[in-house]
Amino acid sequence: MSRVSTWTRRRILGASAGAGALAVGGRRSALAAPAIQKGSTLTYWGGLIFSDKANKTLTDAINKWGARNGVHTEVVMVNQNDTVQKVSAAVASGTMPDALDVGLDLLIVLSRQGVFLPLDDPYASIGKQHGGWLSPVEKASLMNGARFGIPFGISGNMLLRRNDVLSPAGFPNPPATWTELVTQAQKVVKPPFFPIGLCLGNCGDGDTQISVLQSYGGRIADDSGKHAAIKSDATRTYLTWVKDAYDKKLFPPGVTAWDGAGDNNAYAAGTIAFAANTGSIGIAARNDDPDLYKGTAYSSLPAGPLGVISPMDPQLRSIPKSSKNPEAAKALFEYLAQPEYTQAYYADAIYGPVLQNEMQLDVFNARDPILAGLLDLVKKGTPPGYPDVYNAAYADVYNNFLIPKMIQRVVVDRWDFDRAMDEAQAQIQATYTKYA
Amino acid sequence: MSVTAHRAVVSPARRPRLSATAQHALFAYGLVLPTVLLLLGLVGYPFLYAIFISFTNRVVGNAGHWVGLANFRYLVNSPDFRASVWNTITIVVVSDAAKLAIGLSLALLVNQRLPGRGLFRSILMLPWAMPAFVVFLVWRVIYQPIGGGLNLLLTDTGLYSGYIDWLGEPSTALPAVIVATVWRGFPFWFISILAALQTIPGEQYEAARVDGANAWQRFGAVTFPGIRQVVIITTLLSSIWTANSFENVWLLTQGGPADSTMVFPVLAYFGMQTMQLGQAAAVSVAMLPVLAVLVFAATAMAQRGVED
Repeated sequence: MSRVSTWTRRRILGASAGAGALAVGGRRSALAAPAIQKGSTLTYWGGLIFSDKANKTLTDAINKWGARNGVHTEVVMVNQNDTVQKVSAAVASGTMPDALDVGLDLLIVLSRQGVFLPLDDPYASIGKQHGGWLSPVEKASLMNGARFGIPFGISGNMLLRRNDVLSPAGFPNPPATWTELVTQAQKVVKPPFFPIGLCLGNCGDGDTQISVLQSYGGRIADDSGKHAAIKSDATRTYLTWVKDAYDKKLFPPGVTAWDGAGDNNAYAAGTIAFAANTGSIGIAARNDDPDLYKGTAYSSLPAGPLGVISPMDPQLRSIPKSSKNPEAAKALFEYLAQPEYTQAYYADAIYGPVLQNEMQLDVFNARDPILAGLLDLVKKGTPPGYPDVYNAAYADVYNNFLIPKMIQRVVVDRWDFDRAMDEAQAQIQATYTKYA
Repeated sequence: MSVTAHRAVVSPARRPRLSATAQHALFAYGLVLPTVLLLLGLVGYPFLYAIFISFTNRVVGNAGHWVGLANFRYLVNSPDFRASVWNTITIVVVSDAAKLAIGLSLALLVNQRLPGRGLFRSILMLPWAMPAFVVFLVWRVIYQPIGGGLNLLLTDTGLYSGYIDWLGEPSTALPAVIVATVWRGFPFWFISILAALQTIPGEQYEAARVDGANAWQRFGAVTFPGIRQVVIITTLLSSIWTANSFENVWLLTQGGPADSTMVFPVLAYFGMQTMQLGQAAAVSVAMLPVLAVLVFAATAMAQRGVED
């Protein structure tokens, strides 16, 4: 495949030089650059991810930028599972850092409360410098007509499959639809090998079922994003799919009580053929189990009758209104968008690109199947929540695992579809009413 | 300054403004004042503030406003909440009964003059000494349907050859959580009851034997009255700890499947995850009546025991 433009070493060095000039406050572009106060302090909460190398790359880059600009930087890496609690406590006690990494749902909820500064200017500036923002990123990061975060990476689920098991069974290609996934699974099921390792428990991985539901045409709420709409024929069709597969024992036992590591553990143990995962399974296999890594193939999530629903989850950088050094934080964000940094960061982080020019970075060529999968996700993925409206109520439904719970009612409590949908409909409506 | 010199300074004509009793009382109040202030600041204020928040729609970043009983109405209508009330009571009652039975049996056993009982006592304390998250993660591994210790045991002994989904089926998930909770908690009962047993004078047993009492009669007339106060206090503490316990459910099932193990602390945690502080506080406040009944009942029983 030919590419229109490639980030060669020379281009990166050139861009880096520009970035360096920008960072040291030298010759500036036509865009207004933030003023940095020398000798000031900047505290930054970075989102801790699976890759130690990527975490170090971020920390080093911030400290390097601080040293260049005479800003004393304090970087604290926060486990992403603890971000909500830590940020909640910091907001309540007035101890927020000067800048931090946040997920989209946290940003939506807190920007409604006026916790963050609008960042429209640096957003436009960074976009202009790097060929523009990718369209889904552009849509996802707009909240009530303003930008409160600067996107820096896309995560989302890819379908991992055991190609070494499925190819010999006559399935060299990934399943194009969820129905086809069941067909492939039926062919290779052999206890204790239960092929469909899609979590149905009360954890973030369980919420992947929302995408499957939506690909069948099911909806959490209506187009206004205000009224629950889970009870529908489309949801019924989806529930038929999941119940049939569960009853055929294609899901592993225990899948309704898996936590966030359930699919990772099962895939590493070699007891499942499919998993929907952000790439952490692949990274672990690359480090610990080369055979498993070699036998694994990556693709986008299969389609339902409505098509592929594969949500992209942007990670963003934000500046609290309480920040004592907002201008320095804005300048840092511009620096962290330069290819000098992003090339190194993306190589180890499990994130896809957010800017047009980043898609041409060498790191996203097809050599690494995980990064290639992430690039594919960025090209084919859907905005967060799509076709639903991604708002605070939707995030609440997501964080309270109401869809996995509806599935559990059907597969383990043996409720009929109507009863399970009625309960979910009432709970979702109560949630949306809360935010009305 | 010497005592003599001190007396010389105080004029006999000057009379203290407060009586000696009042001075002593004032001095005593002065001594306890820092503790009272500390308790008010660290316990009283957060406690009352949590109750206040439960009547507001406060979220992170916004103090919210007074919504009366809206949070409680929302909870009562939520199937999660109804499940959590029933599950919390079940876990507390069943696990306390099991911990009492196991703790008492082992304490009676170890109270005998047996060889190696010191070592045995130490081993029995291990579950209590281990960090809770380690205990429950180990139990999670034991309960794994594929490759888990319990299913392997059943398969190897020929008792059962399938895959029992201990944590994934509502019929087994709650008992599985209770078993792990009992395992973690029984040593506290064991050591408390053992300590009480060792305070019962041996002469009382001698006298009962002389009177012709059998083992059951000796237990009813000597042992149980001797440990009753400790059992009541232990029940009270254990009930409160178990009702507030988060790790056991979170690490094993996250409240699932289908709310079959949902308990108050996990429900409150979900409220925190969505930054609904008012709602999360309402869950915690809703626990108060249950715990208050336990505290009052145990205190009354303890008081009656003292009066007897």
